Parts: sequence; C-alpha cells; structure tokens
Amino acid sequence: MNTVTELLRADSRVSGYKFNIHKKESFELFFVKGRLETVRSTDTCDREVTVYVDHDGFRGDAQFFIYPSTTAEQLRALIDEAVGKALLIDNQAYELPEKQTGSYTVESNFADYAPGELAGLIAEAVFSANDIPNASLNSVEIFLNRHTETVVNSRGLDKIQVRYDAMVEAIPTYNGEKQSVELYQQYNFSTMDPEAIRAEIADKLAAVKARYEAVTPEQPLDCPVVLNRQELAELFGSIAQDLNYATVYAHANLFRKGQPIQKDPTGDPIGITMKGQISGSVRSARFDSDGLSLGSIRLVEDGQAVNYYGSNRYGQYLGETPTGSLPCLAADPGTAGTPQGAYLEVISMSGLQVDLYNDYIGGEIRLAYYHQGRQVLPVTGISISGCLSQVLNTIRLSSDTAVYRGYQGPAQAILSQMKIF
Amino acid sequence: MGFSEFLNSRRDAARGLVAQLRKRFDYVSVLGVDAKAKTVQVNRNTSNISAGRDTECGFVVKLSSGSVFYEYSLDDIAGDTEALAEKIAGAFTLNAALLGNTIDPVTLSDEPLTRSFAREHDLADYSDQQLLDFCKNQCAALLGKSEHLLNAMVSLNILETSKLFISEHRELDQNYSWVNGILVGIYQENDKVVQVFDSANYHLIGKVLEELPTITGKLLHTAHMLTLAKPITPGVYDVITDPSITGLIAHEAFGHGVEMDQFVKDRALAKQYVGKYVASPICNMRDGAASTLSAASYFFDDDGVLAGDTQIIKDGILVTGISDLASAAQLGTAPTGNGRRESSRRKAYSRMTNTFFEPGKDKLSDMIASIDHGYMLFDTNNGMEDPKNWAIQCVAQYGIEIVDGKLTDNYVSPVVMSGYVPDLLQSISMISDDFKVTGAGMCGKGYKEWVRVSDGGPALKVRVKLG
Repeated sequence: MNTVTELLRADSRVSGYKFNIHKKESFELFFVKGRLETVRSTDTCDREVTVYVDHDGFRGDAQFFIYPSTTAEQLRALIDEAVGKALLIDNQAYELPEKQTGSYTVESNFADYAPGELAGLIAEAVFSANDIPNASLNSVEIFLNRHTETVVNSRGLDKIQVRYDAMVEAIPTYNGEKQSVELYQQYNFSTMDPEAIRAEIADKLAAVKARYEAVTPEQPLDCPVVLNRQELAELFGSIAQDLNYATVYAHANLFRKGQPIQKDPTGDPIGITMKGQISGSVRSARFDSDGLSLGSIRLVEDGQAVNYYGSNRYGQYLGETPTGSLPCLAADPGTAGTPQGAYLEVISMSGLQVDLYNDYIGGEIRLAYYHQGRQVLPVTGISISGCLSQVLNTIRLSSDTAVYRGYQGPAQAILSQMKIF
Repeated sequence: MGFSEFLNSRRDAARGLVAQLRKRFDYVSVLGVDAKAKTVQVNRNTSNISAGRDTECGFVVKLSSGSVFYEYSLDDIAGDTEALAEKIAGAFTLNAALLGNTIDPVTLSDEPLTRSFAREHDLADYSDQQLLDFCKNQCAALLGKSEHLLNAMVSLNILETSKLFISEHRELDQNYSWVNGILVGIYQENDKVVQVFDSANYHLIGKVLEELPTITGKLLHTAHMLTLAKPITPGVYDVITDPSITGLIAHEAFGHGVEMDQFVKDRALAKQYVGKYVASPICNMRDGAASTLSAASYFFDDDGVLAGDTQIIKDGILVTGISDLASAAQLGTAPTGNGRRESSRRKAYSRMTNTFFEPGKDKLSDMIASIDHGYMLFDTNNGMEDPKNWAIQCVAQYGIEIVDGKLTDNYVSPVVMSGYVPDLLQSISMISDDFKVTGAGMCGKGYKEWVRVSDGGPALKVRVKLG
C-alpha cells in the first residue's frame, strides 16, 4: 500500500483517503451423509481504497480495489478515475475519524490449533452428538475463518484487528417409516468447546425427531406463543435497525428518540444496548470499517427510544456522536418464567417476519411444542401472525439469557394476542 | 470494456498450474473471475458512485482425487507455478480418520471444448456524469410528484463479469453484463409510513433508463393504497399471483427442492417424485441460464459446463432437477450448467438461475372473474425453502381483495403464504397467457451463498393459506 499512499498524498485534488484491508484465511469441510466430500481452503485479501475530495463546500468520495498485480501506472489511472467520480458527488461534508492507533485480537482460542486439526475436532464433536436411532446428519458444512482487518486513513488512524469465527451448518434428519424430515441448523462460535458443539447438535437432533412425530392440530390453537433466542434476535434487531443513524437520516425510521416503542406497556419493559463486543459472539469487533472504536450505547430504556446509533458519517450528519457501526445487541432480561397454562413454544420457523411499517409479526412454523401442563405435543404445519405494537406492549421476557450470533438477551419471550392458524 | 485483460494475462499461468497439479490429481480446473460492479445511487440527501459489492477479482482451483474434491481460492496465480502447485497441494492437511471416511470415488467429466463468449452491452456508452444526472433527475421528479414522500431513492447497479475456465481439456471465457435499476419510496399518509419499491432490469443500460421513469406512477399509487392497507384475516383463499409471486413460488416453494446436490444428500423430497405428478397437469416449469435472458444468464457455469435450459415440470410431471458438476457425477447424470458460486472464494453448489412457470392459455381477466372471494397477490418480499418437507413460506408485499370476480380497492399487507408445496402446485387451476421474468433479486442457499437469480412466469390461480 506504500505506493498508493505516496500517490494519494502527492495529489493535491485528494482531500483524504481511507484503506480497508481484509485478509481472510479459511478452512472448510463439507460432509454428505457423514462422509467427507469436499475440502476447501482460501487465502485472499481485499484492498479497498476510498478517496475523498472536498469541493464547493461538499465532500465527494469514490472507491476502487487494488490487487497485487496492480501497477503504479494503473494506480494513477484508478486515482484519477476516483477523483473524477468524487467530484460529481455533492454530499454534506464530514470529517474522517481522528488519529488513533491500535492492534487487537478479539477473544478466541482458535489460534491454539492448526486449521485442519481444528476442523477435524469440530467434525468429531458434531458427529458424536448423534445418539438417536433413525436420526442422521445428511449434510454438514464446517467453516473456520481468520480475519485480519486493517483500517488506515489520511488523518493518521491506523488500526488492525484479528477475529476468528466458525460456522457449522448441519441438517439433522429423521428417517421414519412414514416419512423423512429435516431441520436446518446454523451454529456460529468463536471459542472451541466440543461439549457446547455437541449439545447444540444434540438439541437439534432431538428436535428433528419431534418434527417427525409432530402433527398439525385438528382444532385451531388459542394460547400464548413462546419465541426463542433466534426469533428474539430478529425482533430486537429490527427495532435497533430502525434507530440507526442511516435509517434516521433517510427519514425511514418509525421510532423517534424520546418516544415510546411500547406505547401502552403491560408486559416487561424493553431495554436494548448496542455493543461492540459480546462474550462468545462471532460478531464482536473492536472497531468498525471507519476505524471508530466500538463501545456501547443504550438505545432503548424502559420501552422508550433514548438514543440513535451508527456510523461516523451519518452520526455527524445528524449532529450526534458517532458510535460506530455497533455489531452486537444486548437486550435486558425480564421476569418471566415458564408460562402458566397452555402455550405454544416455537422451536423452528421458516423465518420470523417482523414488519415495522405494517405493524406485523408472524411466519410459518416448522416445529413447535404445544404444552398443556405436563403434556407436550410436537406440532407442525401451522403459522402465527399478530399486531407488532400489541405484541411489544404485552411481551414477557424470560429472566434467563442466551447468546445467538450478535444477540445476547432473554432466552425466551411470551407473546400474547397472536393468532395461530 | 470487454473480456478482462487481467484474466487474459493469466491464461498461461492457469494452463501451467493445471498441468502441474494434474501430476497429483485426477481432475484439475482453474476458474478466474474479474467482476466489476458499480452502483450509482441518489436519494433526497445524498448521492454516491461506489464500487458495488459484487466487485471481485480472483481464482479458484478445483481438484479431485476421486473420492474427495478440493478447492483453493486465491487472489492471483502469477509467478512460480511449481511453487504455487506445491502450496495448493499442501493446503489440505487432514487427519487419517477424515480421509478414511470419504464419498465413493467419482470421475468429473472434462470433455474437450474451446470457446469464447460475449454478450452485447452498452456500458461504455454512458459516463458516470450521465448516470448520476439520470438518478438525480428521477429522484427529483419522484419527490416532486407527491408531498407524501419522505424520501426517494434511485439506483443503478451495473455489473460486468468476465470469467476464464481452464482445465486439461477445456478452455472457455465469457464476458457479459447486467443492470438493475431500482426505485424506492418512503411514503407517509394516513398516519402511516410505508416503503415501496420497483425495478427495471436488462442487459442494456439504455433499456433500464427508458423503463424506470415509466413506473413511478404505479409506485406512488401502490404507496398510497398501502397506507390504507389492513391486515389480512388469516385463512385459506382462492388467490391469483402476479408474475413476481408466481416466480417466488417457482423459486422458493419448488426450485430449491430440485437442486440436485440436495438429491445427493437425500435432502430433497423431489428425488422420489421424478416421473410423477407434482403439480396440476396444466403446469410447466423451467430453469436455465439459457432459458431466457435475465439476471442469471451466462454462457457457462462456474464448473465450465455450458448453460442449460432444463424442463423441470412438464404437464405437471417432475422431469428432472438441476445440477452442478460434482452432484451430477455422484448421481451419474449429465450436469445441467447450474454449478454456481457466490464468488471465487466460495464453493460451487447446484443453484437455480432463471426459474419460471411457462405461460398458459387463460386471460387474466377471466381468472379474476372466476373468484367470488379471494386475493390477488403482488410483489415479492421474501421466501424460505424447505426442500425436504415441502413447507412453504412466501411473503408478498401486498394483496388486493377480489369480490364477485372484481378487484376492489381493499389492500392487505403484508401477506404470508404458507402450506404444503404439492397442495399448492396441484391447486393451480388457471394459468394466464402472459409472462414476465424479473431479475433484481439475490438467492441464498439456506442462509448463505448469495447469487443473482431471476424468476417469474404468468399469473396463476391457486388455493392457499394466507396470513
């Protein structure tokens, strides 16, 4: 990057620049019906240059990528082209983050292993989880990634972080006499813990057996619906996205700072904090793509939006303090325990649909447990739908917590006033 | 513009690498990708000309020892070919337990072929200034048409792709482009904020610039009606699908289930239905990069297999699925040209391309007139596949109530369509004689591996659960 730095510094038209360098090394295993099919390895590096040009009271920017093969002559042409594009852009001016340096490694024990060794150990943990007769893992994909991310800008900011993540995509399948059924599982982690992997897979294998046994209720169900961490991550994530600086600046937000998200609450108050890091989350990062250090900010307090959050540029546009693009969300636990009476516990959905604009929440359920006292009936072939604002007003949040990707918060929530059909 | 000079400069290196690695592996291929994406975007407050997210330049080397496939992705293959071959071969260190438990040996086909392909485009005819001015003018025009618009966004997403495929017996290259023009409105009226979008998609910028201005009126009307929309009363209804929702059904409800890598894994119920009725006898469905010209049209796939045009359902009977090279080899079938990667850094899977139902013989007006009470559904929001169990979740942006054979002004939104795939497909009772395929979307496999796809077809009359 030295040549491009020199060329940019020597170019009087260039008001500023930023480099984003992402080196990714991965090792991947793909299994078909328990047998190894494909092994992949990648060693790649993206080098993106953003050029800023101040003109006529505006700031324009443009990007280009450079490769090991890019010559000095090509670099000059790329800079010329980028300056030309940036001069066309009349955006409100903003400053790049100030000089700050740092070198970080996000917590993980992956560096203790060779990639092939670690992938093998993960595979061993995954396949050892299956002790259910007639159950199998028809497809397993294991991805190990080591990310080295560097941000450098013309104001002297120079940061580097190393992050690790792993992802297991497993398809637990149950082959019975009447049919064969499956569920989808994606498990992300950044700390090697064979027991945790085994437990995750074993849970899903038990669930797929339940899906095999599941029936479509003969009569419509009318009871509270319990959502788990995956759906709660979607629900709270939708609220957080609405309070992002970019959404607010685009006039696309429904919620406003200082106004309630729960307008007439009778359930647990919602509290949301956006964070840079959550222990055990693969989304954890020390800085964002502008190089801004990532701390935390309280977004929702007692059911009321109290702050916005977001990137350097849009924070400045709104006259707010840039928090950086915080990748993790922590939701406050509530007070709820196991619901009294009958309830429907959602285990697997096609995908929870949360539509703030249309005040809608719902989706198709692939597996749920219908609890009636001590009786638990696996059910499938049903859908749920409800009015989002009513659901938020009455939501009951569990006191126990869970982590799912970038989410940390209540492990379960009880939703009333949902239609089950 | 035209085929990538960079990839051309790496032909000899690719040939050399194939030759070196063939000393150790039964099959070797090198795929080089040079994709240049550009996004020009304008909204009320900002404008932007950026390198689109599909920009990439790199290589993937595919190897087979018979019982295991290996892939290595890297930025460049220039330099000491022998040393690079050594590095690649040494990158796959595994324990004996894994190597002792592999799939049955298969042979990947490598039939001789040398071809160059290029699709006409007009990318060089438009400067950045012209494209930006177009977006600015359209944005201003849209905002000027309604005081209810809080914001409007106009964007042009332009992608030019060059790919080079070299194996021992094949040498192929291709160059093609695609342009998505997108309008988005954030609209406030009747104490409600709604977001609406529409798009124009062609291989020529000129056609996109011609069509986009013509769809603003419909966009604003839809936005107005959506502010009046009510939730739908859940239930089972007679439904007419517009081409977008027809495409969603073709793609999500059925298409994923005929991706034949799922057959290899026993993940697709469709495997048991080849040669059997899966849909109403008036139903025909196809997929292929060569089936029609749309967002997923190319000349050869990422395995170096020529683009196909596959009849998936004929007269209601499932004929075949779609496959990549590896799954076809494992199933003992011919690959259909559906081996696709998210990028040169990702694995090739069996993926859909342009997927659609073929037109029928009915008039749309007759189809609507045949319904006493039901809905016509419009505009894809999203969908999720379930190839093993054939459960459906397809989300439409909105529906319009049909009463006594006529479309009313009663809008419902959003609308989630759910149920069981064969029930839905066998309920198809009328198919319109018109046809439209749209190609602004991306498709994942599970929740990853995003590729550009298109889908569509005619209007269908079905009976399905809405909520």
